[in-house]
Amino acid sequence: MLKEIVRNIFGKKKALPFPDGFKGSPEDAAKVVALQKKIDAIFRRSLRIRQVDAGSCNACEWECTALTNPMYDIQRFGIDFVASPRHADLLLVSGPVSRQMELALKKTYIATPEPRLVIACGDCAINGGIYRGSYAVTNGVAAVIPVDGHIPGCPPSPVALISGLLQILEKLT
Amino acid sequence: MEKVIKRSITTKKYLNELYVEVRREDFRDACMFLYQNGAAILRVMFATDERQVDGTFRVYAVFSVPGKDEFTVLYISLRGDDLSFPSLTNTIPAAHWYEREIHDMFGLVPEGHPDLRRLIFHESFPADSYPLRKDWSVKQSDLKEWGEGIIIKQPYSFMEVEGEGITEIPVGPVHAGIIEPGHFRFSAVGETIFFLEPKLFYTHKGTEKHFETLGFFEGVKLAERISGTSSFSHSAAYCMAVERMADIGLPEKAGAVRTLLLELERLYNHIGDIGNMCAGTGLAVGYARGAVIKELLMQLNERLTGSRYLRGINTIGGANRDVLLKKDDISTVLNTVTREYKSLMKLLLENVSHMERIETTGRLSKDIAVRLGVTGVAARASGIPDDIRKAHPHLMYDRLPFEVHTTAKGDVFARMMVRAEEVECSISMIHALLENSYSGEMIAPQKDIPVLASALGYAETPRGPVFYWVKSDRAGKPLRVKFRSPSYCNWPAVPFAVHGNIVPDFPLCNKSFNLSYSGCDM
Repeated sequence: MLKEIVRNIFGKKKALPFPDGFKGSPEDAAKVVALQKKIDAIFRRSLRIRQVDAGSCNACEWECTALTNPMYDIQRFGIDFVASPRHADLLLVSGPVSRQMELALKKTYIATPEPRLVIACGDCAINGGIYRGSYAVTNGVAAVIPVDGHIPGCPPSPVALISGLLQILEKLT
Repeated sequence: MEKVIKRSITTKKYLNELYVEVRREDFRDACMFLYQNGAAILRVMFATDERQVDGTFRVYAVFSVPGKDEFTVLYISLRGDDLSFPSLTNTIPAAHWYEREIHDMFGLVPEGHPDLRRLIFHESFPADSYPLRKDWSVKQSDLKEWGEGIIIKQPYSFMEVEGEGITEIPVGPVHAGIIEPGHFRFSAVGETIFFLEPKLFYTHKGTEKHFETLGFFEGVKLAERISGTSSFSHSAAYCMAVERMADIGLPEKAGAVRTLLLELERLYNHIGDIGNMCAGTGLAVGYARGAVIKELLMQLNERLTGSRYLRGINTIGGANRDVLLKKDDISTVLNTVTREYKSLMKLLLENVSHMERIETTGRLSKDIAVRLGVTGVAARASGIPDDIRKAHPHLMYDRLPFEVHTTAKGDVFARMMVRAEEVECSISMIHALLENSYSGEMIAPQKDIPVLASALGYAETPRGPVFYWVKSDRAGKPLRVKFRSPSYCNWPAVPFAVHGNIVPDFPLCNKSFNLSYSGCDM
């Protein structure tokens, strides 16, 4: 372990390249910087997200987890995932909201202090997606709690999640 | 076996499936005979509502004998008003959940079952309401009350542990991490877990019923969205079942593509899981490095198929894209991954704090694993050489050199090492696949779905084997689609593995099994 640390300090290991698909045009970069300033100003560098799985297939959760890996490193925007809704500013809800999760989702929503934002993450969360019409789902988050924004995709990739989050914040703030 | 067949009503052989209809009173004996004398494994058990066809409910039990590429499907028909069937749970504990599920979904009563509490539906689901019956209907107000979860329509009692110093710790369904929902009730003595009762099925989405409304071809999309990280293996197994039912021969090239992607799926999951276990032991470096390797593989997936979860490739009769054209990309990424992965494993195995945490933690004994019908990685880590790729060769697996890795210890370390060995296996299998060239089309010519036909389909997901059983009705539409994900078999074993461990080690044990909630909850 020590060897590893020493090697990384002196070996000048190259940073991992950002994936294709994230087109870093100068305008986009300027936008991100402006937004980051906004996040800094409004949330004091601490936009806290509580991710709630309301019956998703688990792909959306893994993409949210991937946001915290060294490649995407969402913490650099001052955004982080928290363990309790009581610490959160934003609920990121995935899944078509199965009936057996409805109550838990409502309770999570109530436990989140105001002002709070709710974002529906993934196609299922928007309108039920492929599960639309099944007896055991409610066809989307909006049927259960008020929603402020949507991020489409099945699942939305980490890049889509970052840009979706930033876009929604830009609109709302 | 002959003895069972002699007493049977009808037998029918289809591919490697032997359907044996037995009398209701012989069902238990026939199953017991297979289980005890033949050491057969109960693969899946389910019911069907075929009242519109011939006025019966049927209960099927699918067994397979190790070392033989054959499935024995024993079934009974229930006519008239007597909607009960003999329970197998007392002799074959693996049948425990299946029978409760049949009771919930069809209202058929397993006679002599020791624990007939609801499994799938929670308290607010209307009583005497059985969704998989063909004539089932439900009032909107009932569905609304089910979602609100305030009115209790059928009480559910947790098993209670009594005694001095026992503390009950309820956790969930919404957990602290970014994971799926499920409720756990620990009964702890101090820090040590004495008993754990999971209450799952929060993400029940009525998937099996939904398959019936979607039709066979649309069903592929649904199969891909049952368990996110096993998207490809689920859809491969589903397609295989439909192809076998409709007698569609899979072209060689499509078979190679499917095998390649199955192994790529296993690779990203196994490496991700090994990294995730580090999150359980608090080794941030290992976690981050595992996540980076996984990310490299996910990006490869996206370049190959357009989806990080390998969705949209499988279709009935073949595969939509020839990913073998991107050979160079695959081998370049695999070389990087191999290098990074080897250095990660070296780091983990040399790290005392990590090893101390994972050795002897969360032990699952072979005896319990066999009895509960544990499958996949968890079974292999407890010394059961159960791998559907070897036991029932399909796709290209009979041509590829690989071994089934087992260890006897059954602890978290064993589950990590089984994954580690399978990673190397998968890498060499992918290299072997890329060396050859394959003939044939990407998609076989389509055929009509035959009426009243049925078949099994299976694939080895990163967690273990998934099974699909499909049957068509008189119009060629799905009469029943049953799937059984490996997590469904393994969840009942988790309480046994965590018994005697400390509460803070539970997340680690849980991560070492890495079970899907969504796949289990259906």
